[in-house]
Amino acid sequence: MNLHHVRGALASSHRFGPQARHQLALWLLLTPFLAGAFLLIGLPALITFGLAFTRYDAISPPVWNGLQNFATIFQRDLFWIAVRHSLLFAATAAPLQVLGAMMLALLLHPPRRGAKLYRAAVYLSSVLPDVAYALIWLWLFNPLYGPINLLLGSAGLPQPAWLVDPATALPALVIMAALRVGEGMLLLIAARQAIPGAYFQAAMLDGAGRWQSFRYLTLPLLTPWLLLLLVRDVVLGAHGAFTPVYIMTGGGPGYATTLLPFLIYEEAFGHLRIGQAAAMMTVMFTAIGLLVGVVYRWANRLAYDDDL
Amino acid sequence: MTMTSRHTVEAPASVLTAPAAERPHKRTGAWRRRGRRLLWQMLALSVAALFLTPLLWMVVASLQPVGLPPARTLGWFPQGVAWSNYSEIFRIIPLARQLGNSLWVSSVGAAVTLLTASWAGFAMAQMAPPVRRRLVALALLLLLTPASAVWLPRYLLFSAAGLIDTYTALVAPALMGTKSLFVLMYYWSFRRVSLELFEAARLEGAGVWASWRHIALPLVGPTTLAVLVLSFSHYWSDFVDPLLFLKSAQRFTVAVGLRMLQQMDVTNWPLLLAGVVIMVAPVLLLYALLQVMLRGDAHFWRRTLRNGVGGENAQEGSPPAELSG
Repeated sequence: MNLHHVRGALASSHRFGPQARHQLALWLLLTPFLAGAFLLIGLPALITFGLAFTRYDAISPPVWNGLQNFATIFQRDLFWIAVRHSLLFAATAAPLQVLGAMMLALLLHPPRRGAKLYRAAVYLSSVLPDVAYALIWLWLFNPLYGPINLLLGSAGLPQPAWLVDPATALPALVIMAALRVGEGMLLLIAARQAIPGAYFQAAMLDGAGRWQSFRYLTLPLLTPWLLLLLVRDVVLGAHGAFTPVYIMTGGGPGYATTLLPFLIYEEAFGHLRIGQAAAMMTVMFTAIGLLVGVVYRWANRLAYDDDL
Repeated sequence: MTMTSRHTVEAPASVLTAPAAERPHKRTGAWRRRGRRLLWQMLALSVAALFLTPLLWMVVASLQPVGLPPARTLGWFPQGVAWSNYSEIFRIIPLARQLGNSLWVSSVGAAVTLLTASWAGFAMAQMAPPVRRRLVALALLLLLTPASAVWLPRYLLFSAAGLIDTYTALVAPALMGTKSLFVLMYYWSFRRVSLELFEAARLEGAGVWASWRHIALPLVGPTTLAVLVLSFSHYWSDFVDPLLFLKSAQRFTVAVGLRMLQQMDVTNWPLLLAGVVIMVAPVLLLYALLQVMLRGDAHFWRRTLRNGVGGENAQEGSPPAELSG
C-alpha cells in the first residue's frame, strides 16, 4: 500500500471520484472552444437558416414569408451570374492551385542547398495579408503603368486591360489566386517526404523510369492529400475571393467579377435585403456541404486510413 | 542490394581492369550528377524569383516620386528614389495610430488564442477515443465553414450584444482558438507527448491545470510559437471583420486604414504601396523568425502531419521518413 493508493482511496470517498473530477476538469478546459464554436459558428448558421425564410431589413422585426426568398433569388439573373462566376472561379483557381502546389512540391522537396530559401520565397505570397496582396496586384494589373503590361509591351506582346476589361477581369483574379500555393506546397512536401525512399529504390531496380515512378508510386500515395487540398481550396476560394473583389473591382466591370460572397455582402449590408442574403448563404452552404460529403465518400472509397 | 552484392562478388576477378574501365564511367556519372544539380538550382532559383517579383515590384513602386505621372517605360527608378514617401504616408493618414490599434488587437487575439487552443487541444488529447474522434471531426467541420456564411448573423449577434465598434467583436474568434486548426495543432502535439506523463502527474495529485501549465505546455514550444505567429498575423491581416464591425475611424486597424487610403486617392500609387510595405513588413518578419526558430518548416510540418494522419499507429510503428533523391 503506497501513498497513491491512500490518496486514491481518500479521494474516492468524496462524492465524485478522482476520475470523474478529472473528466470534469477536462471538459472545463474545452468550454471556451465549444462555447465559441457554438456562439460564433453554430448559432450564426442557425440564424442564417432561420432568416432565409423571412423578410427582414434590420429595422423592423423579421416577417415569416416561407420559401419566397428562394423563389425570388432563383428568378434573379444577378444571382445566377454570381453562381456562374463563383463556379468558374472555383473550377479554375482551385485545380490550378493544387497542380501548382504539387509541381512546386515535387521540385522543391529534395533537401538540397538553398531548398529552404526557395520554399520560403514561394510561401511568402501566401502569408501576405489579403488586403496587401489585393493592392499589390491591383498595381501589377494596372493597364497603363502596371509592370505586367510594361513587360508584355516591351516583349511586343498584346497588353490586356486586365481588371478593366470584362473578358479578362475574372481570369486576372484567377491568376493571382493561383499563385498563392505556399501552404499546399508545404503540405505536399511533407507528404512526399513521408514516402519511404525504399519504395523509389525498389521501383528503380524494377526498371521504372522517373515518369513511371511518379505515375504509379508518388501520385497514388499523394492522391488523398491532393483531394484534401482541392476541397480546401474550393471552400476557401468560395469566400476568400471576397477581399480581392471588394478591393480591386467592386464586382465589375459590369458584373464580370461579381462572385457569390460579394453579392451576399451587397445584398445584406448594401441593400439590407437580409432575408435574400440569408437564402443565398443557405444555398452556398448546402452546395459546399454536398461537395465535402461527396469528396469524403470518395476519399473513403480509396480505402485511405484517416483515423485521427 | 542484390546489385551491389553481385558487384562485390565479381570484383576480385576484374581487379586489374576495374580502375581503368570504371574511372571514365564514374567521372561522367559525377558530371551528370553535377549537371543535374545545376539544372535544379537554376530551375528552383527562377521559380523563387517568379514568386518574389511581385514583392520586388511593390517595393520599387513604393519609392517612386509622388505627383509625377508614373513612367511608362520599364526601368527601376526612372524618376529617382523618393524615400520621403514613407514619412509622408504617416502625415496624410493616421497610420501610426492604426498600426498601434492593429498591434493591440493582434496581441490580445494571439494571447487568448494561445490559452484557448492549448486548453482545448490538451483536453481533447486526454479524452476517451470515441469522444476524441467526435471532437476532431467537429474541429475539421469548423475548419471547412466558409467565413462569409457567418458575417451577417455575427453582425446581428454583435449588435444585439452592443459589441459593434469594439475590439471585442474583432478578437471574439479567439474564444474558440481563432481557427480550429490551431486547436488541432495542439491536439496533435499533445498526442505526440507520451500520455502516460499526464497520467502519472494526475496520480501524483497534480490537477489538470498544473499538468497543463508545468508539464504539457513546456513540451510543445514549437507548436506554441507557430500558433502565436499564425494567430497574430491572422488578426493583423483581418480585413472583413474590422470592415463590418468597426465604425469610428480612430479605432481602424491598418487593413481598413489602407482601404481608406485607397479610396482617398486612387492614383497615388507610391504612397498606397508604401502603406502596403509597412503593413506587410511585420508579418514577413514574424514568419522569418518562425522559420529560423523552427530551423526549417519541413521537419515541423512532417511531424505534425505524420501524427495527424497515422494517429497512435504512427507514433509506434512508422519508420523515420527517409529522404530520397
